[in-house]
Amino acid sequence: MTQNKSDVFESSAMPADWLKSMVGLWEGLPRLWFELSKNKPNEPGPEKGNGQNFKASADAALKSWQAVAAAVSAPESVHTALKSAGAMPDILLKLAQNTLGGFLQFQQKCVEHGNRLGKTAEAYKFENIDENLCRAWTEMYEKEFRQFFHIPQLGLTRTYQEKFNQALDKYNIYQATLSEFIRLLSLPMTQSMTVMQEKMSEMVETGNMPEESQVYYQMWIKILEGHYMTLFQSTDYIQTLGRTVNAISEFAMAKDAVFEDMLSVLPIPKRKEIDDLEREIYELKKRLSALEKKTP
Amino acid sequence: MTQFNIPVDLILSKLADDAGKAQNRAQKASEVLLDSLETELSTTPYEVVYREDRIKVKYYQPKIKPQYQTPLLVVYALINRETMLDLQPGRSVVQSFLDSGMDVYMIDWGYPTRKDRFLGFDDHINGYMENVVNFVRERHGLARINLMGICMGGTFCAIYSALHAEKIKNLITTVTPTCFDTNKGLLHTWMRGIDADRMVDTFGNIPADMMNFGFLLLNPARLMIDKYVGFMENMDSKNFVENFVRMEKWIFDSPDLPGEVFRQFIKDCYQQNLLVQGKLEVGGKKVDLKKITMPVLNIFGKYDHLVPPEACEGFIRHVGSQDAENVCLDTGHIGIYVSSKCQSEFAPKIARWLKERDSIAPLGFEKEKDSRPKTERMKTEKLKTDRPKAERLKTERLKPQRLKVV
Repeated sequence: MTQNKSDVFESSAMPADWLKSMVGLWEGLPRLWFELSKNKPNEPGPEKGNGQNFKASADAALKSWQAVAAAVSAPESVHTALKSAGAMPDILLKLAQNTLGGFLQFQQKCVEHGNRLGKTAEAYKFENIDENLCRAWTEMYEKEFRQFFHIPQLGLTRTYQEKFNQALDKYNIYQATLSEFIRLLSLPMTQSMTVMQEKMSEMVETGNMPEESQVYYQMWIKILEGHYMTLFQSTDYIQTLGRTVNAISEFAMAKDAVFEDMLSVLPIPKRKEIDDLEREIYELKKRLSALEKKTP
Repeated sequence: MTQFNIPVDLILSKLADDAGKAQNRAQKASEVLLDSLETELSTTPYEVVYREDRIKVKYYQPKIKPQYQTPLLVVYALINRETMLDLQPGRSVVQSFLDSGMDVYMIDWGYPTRKDRFLGFDDHINGYMENVVNFVRERHGLARINLMGICMGGTFCAIYSALHAEKIKNLITTVTPTCFDTNKGLLHTWMRGIDADRMVDTFGNIPADMMNFGFLLLNPARLMIDKYVGFMENMDSKNFVENFVRMEKWIFDSPDLPGEVFRQFIKDCYQQNLLVQGKLEVGGKKVDLKKITMPVLNIFGKYDHLVPPEACEGFIRHVGSQDAENVCLDTGHIGIYVSSKCQSEFAPKIARWLKERDSIAPLGFEKEKDSRPKTERMKTEKLKTDRPKAERLKTERLKPQRLKVV
């Protein structure tokens, strides 16, 4: 116990000493500046009023700095700070646990998916196809990673940073949804190949193999068309299509918001400004047209 | 178990033959593709007789003596372009109409830019269409003209005819969706799940490439694979390549769709099916299809995957006309206008139908009894006579502006 106290005291002494020396340094600098100004009477110095104001401001700032430094270097404050620092590993551990949890979940789904790979794809069946790797990735992103882009931003550039993070987040969602959509579109290809193989086996068994390559192609394209028609009417496809279109829209909006900010530093009008202007012209034209119709 | 013999030798020899043929074809194809190809669209001569903002009106004059008293105004959809009606010589609906002695006007909606994003149904129907109809009426000195709509243009024509019935003599709707509450046709199913507001707020106008990708997705096996396999198999034929390239040009020459039109078409039509319920509102007025009392000819394709027969055929039940007819052709959405078979059915049918309903009064004067109230008739008369001379001259000046001559 005594040992712990002495450790805290010793470690708290270090920042306190450093703070004192820093205060000394900043206290010394303005004084030096004023001494130098006094010793150069021929040079036009700052006006009396301004100089005094500056000195007063500098003194006030120094006093605040001293007060803050004294408060911070007090053993109690240092103890609290060190306690927080002691909690850092816990925070990091939690962060790592969450991330690792996500990866494990993903891996688990991969294993589940891998176990199913051996099973033959059922022809013309597109129900319950949400259990796929792309969906798992989207879910993991939404649960585990997305929150990092939603950490509140602070300071002068917070709005810009927030919009940028938003664009990154929407881009990730868009990519994830697009992958899901493309995966869905690839399913009929896989399934039609399976059906084609089965048909070929049947033909081999019955000895009814067509000689023309065109016949095989026509057979395959019909099967493929049938699979696509079945897929396109499935609820999963319609939902994924809706999600993808929404994701594209949201990403486009977020991206535009970032570009609008960038454009504001250039001497050219922004899209929003042009849109507003065009709306006004549109409304004016409508009013004019209505008036023209009323005028005999 | 019986062991069947597989003619492996035959299959292999056929494959070898095919490979040889493919090589020959590729050699000939390179000659065809490097040669000059006739792939121009819309080669029938026309004059631009009216312009307003981005839109223009093309006038096609028959080479023979006019056989019809009433001209025909064709309104195409805002998706893709009206050049499809004049795809190539021998496959041209416009040419067929001209051959029958009909004056044809056609609206070219142009390419909407971002400033057109706010233009909705009202601006297109009560604005542009109304102005064009009035222009054609004035030009021919007629109270009423014939109106023909294609796809979404047909929906516009139906709405226009309900709102301005006194100006339309005969209405023809082709592959026109009016009954949207059907599960036939993937477009109808997909559009129900689309967030139109979000899309319009994001993109302004709906990008043509996005719509085209959607149309290709309606049948990827045929439209993305089989179609190009067919091209590879026939690319040694100059005629085939020319026709194919013309079609490709037309398909991918797509204007963006004005955002507000998309919003209203998806929400009011595809999602809520307001038109046939009499609940659709355009320009502050309810569209009542019962007010369509002029003769109606409704043509659609049996194998149309975009606008299935179920979305078209009910239209004549909702109109107030006593003379309404459905015609279902054995073809698809585009085939109705461009297939060789339909060239002999589609346009001639319309020409005959219009001829039967065309009065024999001399050109420029309509002798039919006008049943409209006097105040309404006076309005039309005023329109005819009160037009300032400068205005009339402006129209005349536009006449000789021949833009395209073959």
